[in-house]
Amino acid sequence: MSATSARRRNPKRKPNLLAREGVARVDWKDVGLLRKFLSDRGKIRSRRVTGLTPQQQRAVATAIKNAREMALLPYPTPAPRR
Amino acid sequence: MRHYEVMVILDPSLDERTVAPSLDTFLNVVRTSGGNVEKVDVWGRRRLSYEIAKHAEGIYAVVDVFCDPDAVKELDRQLGLNESVLRTKVLRREDTRTAVKA
Repeated sequence: MSATSARRRNPKRKPNLLAREGVARVDWKDVGLLRKFLSDRGKIRSRRVTGLTPQQQRAVATAIKNAREMALLPYPTPAPRR
Repeated sequence: MRHYEVMVILDPSLDERTVAPSLDTFLNVVRTSGGNVEKVDVWGRRRLSYEIAKHAEGIYAVVDVFCDPDAVKELDRQLGLNESVLRTKVLRREDTRTAVKA
């Protein structure tokens, strides 16, 4: 009971349920939507950031991976170049 | 019979107007096997996120197909043999319609 309270330091928990932009099912062809779940380096945002449920996060992640295979989205780029 | 979604990336040096007809000849495999081509959507030229076979862009096309697993497999194989096809992807579409047992 005290262990849980020690971990409670989120100022505003549940940042955004972004997939609730009226999308019930994630489409891997919807590049504009999936882009929002990528960092500028092309990595998939963590659940902590996206505030999605595990199921949603998984759906988004597989959609991104499918889109990457078809060159719709970039793969993560190693370092901030320049 | 199942609902599939086939995405194809074609060589950008092709004429975009020839894409739909040439794609259609490929889709005859589906039709002869008793399947149904529901939708052919040619997105047109698009920048690729990374180079594929030295190409910076490609012509995208998405085909919705309702057919047997063997038919898509054959379609995918034939597409892959074609030199002007850079990449293909076949996915099941279970959301739009439940599979009909047959």
